[in-house]
Amino acid sequence: LALDKVFGAWAAPASLATRDPLRWRAPVDCVRANELCAAESSCSSRYRTLRQCVAGRDRNTMLANKECQAALEVLQESPLYDCHCKRGMKKELLCLQIYWSIHLGLTGGEEFYEASPYEPVTSRLTDIFRLASIVSGMDSAGNSKSNHCLDAAKACNLNDNCKRLRSTYISTCNKGVSSPERCNRRKCHKALRQFFDRVPSEYTYRLLFCSCKDQACAERRRQTIVPDCSYDEKEQANCLDLRNQCQSDPLCRSRLADFHTNCQASFQTLTSCPGENYQACLGSYTGLIGLDMTPNYVDSSATSFTVSPPCSCRGSGNMEEECERFLRDFTENPCLKNAIQAFGNGTDISFSPKAPPLPPITLPPKVEKTPPLPYDINDSNVLYDTSMITTCTSIQEGGAQANKSHEHSLCFSERSLTTALMPEQKTMTDPKASGSRQPFLGPLSALPFLLAAVV
Amino acid sequence: NRMKRAKARHKPCSLKELEVTVSELGLGYESDETVLFRYCSGTCDSAVRNYDLSLKNVRSMRKIKKEKVRARPCCRPLAYDDDVSFLDTGNKYYTVNEVSAKECGCV
Repeated sequence: LALDKVFGAWAAPASLATRDPLRWRAPVDCVRANELCAAESSCSSRYRTLRQCVAGRDRNTMLANKECQAALEVLQESPLYDCHCKRGMKKELLCLQIYWSIHLGLTGGEEFYEASPYEPVTSRLTDIFRLASIVSGMDSAGNSKSNHCLDAAKACNLNDNCKRLRSTYISTCNKGVSSPERCNRRKCHKALRQFFDRVPSEYTYRLLFCSCKDQACAERRRQTIVPDCSYDEKEQANCLDLRNQCQSDPLCRSRLADFHTNCQASFQTLTSCPGENYQACLGSYTGLIGLDMTPNYVDSSATSFTVSPPCSCRGSGNMEEECERFLRDFTENPCLKNAIQAFGNGTDISFSPKAPPLPPITLPPKVEKTPPLPYDINDSNVLYDTSMITTCTSIQEGGAQANKSHEHSLCFSERSLTTALMPEQKTMTDPKASGSRQPFLGPLSALPFLLAAVV
Repeated sequence: NRMKRAKARHKPCSLKELEVTVSELGLGYESDETVLFRYCSGTCDSAVRNYDLSLKNVRSMRKIKKEKVRARPCCRPLAYDDDVSFLDTGNKYYTVNEVSAKECGCV
């Protein structure tokens, strides 16, 4: 009985692909999309036109121009339209520049939350969460003097790569910190970015998100990014000014958009995070370190923690509300808070394979048509979310049975199984080998697991 | 047991490592941070040159009396590890260089 539904869900993406072939083509990075466009005369000329439209100082009037509009329309059919970039890829900056040249044309760059240019993070670092839990497990075994942040520094010092890059950013950021001309902030930020881009997150997250019981530990945690040079400012900027400054730099703009995509608090998920994905949120938080929007702990309180970019909402004038809204995504964000806490405690709650899947949700009959998914649909720009909806609703369409609430619960538990099994999924997500987007392979990789559960 | 000890003492010069706290390095820094301290240890018997034999002989003939000479090769670092940075107990960062060996040899 259950097997039919599994296969039904599995087959759904294929039928969808034929219905809308354009939407489901394999994702291409923007550098490659640009090459494809350059090889085609109509695409390349329209692209050149659009770039001129977007580059102008008065972007919105330019975009209202007929020629610009026509160029945009044509480009929406090109691979440039839904291309993405990868963190730490070759030519990342070029990729991001290409992405924004199209997307600023689409949105005018006036949105509060912008879509992330980065590919959605599908892998989970369950192992890292487990590693953290071993550390905290040692602690509960009796040693009350243990300092997780000190343990994290030890782990980094004992790894040659981590030690070298940590030492590089510390010495760069610490140079002249006490002298009147202060440090070279630009170099310090660059060294920090290299550390967080090149050292595996099992080291960097431990340093940054260690859990603390006393002030000495919390102060060490706050000091991780050498805030004297990378964060503290004599006069704190206004957050909206800082945001504008950040958005003028394609890298900062992208990382900020990525943070908003992955850490935006959602009231429809257990963890408050989009797609229940702590890993994606922590990753996009660390992605901001070494840019104008560098976040950090605001004090060394051990009992509670607050993170914030180096700005305040003083002097916002009539934009006070917007400024507070922007700042709250850092200072009072339940998703970010839960993600940091979960990492520190070594509890990636709902995704440990041993934990039961999300509780079956029984729906009241009146909301049948729009199943409340366990994450906010509006949160995300990516096809990831829609794919899940389609999978779930297509079961509903395909199955003629009346018991719909039962089907919904299947659809949700299948989803949580999929996410629990993400590591295995890696082997099956070669974008060249598959014609569809990665999330579609989710149900497929969950299949053996489900079969075992059925038997 | 004695054989074991003798064997250990006669291991050729090589790089060894130890986990120590920064305070234990005795350089005057106070920090509980643990670092990897690599050092050179072992014998240099196979690196004995005619120079060493000659020097030993000349000295034994009391031709060299007052000067301090060394008639045996020495196991020493040939290169040092990268800088080590750490946060001390006063929450200040320090970077020290040439604390730890990277490569050993008989010189």
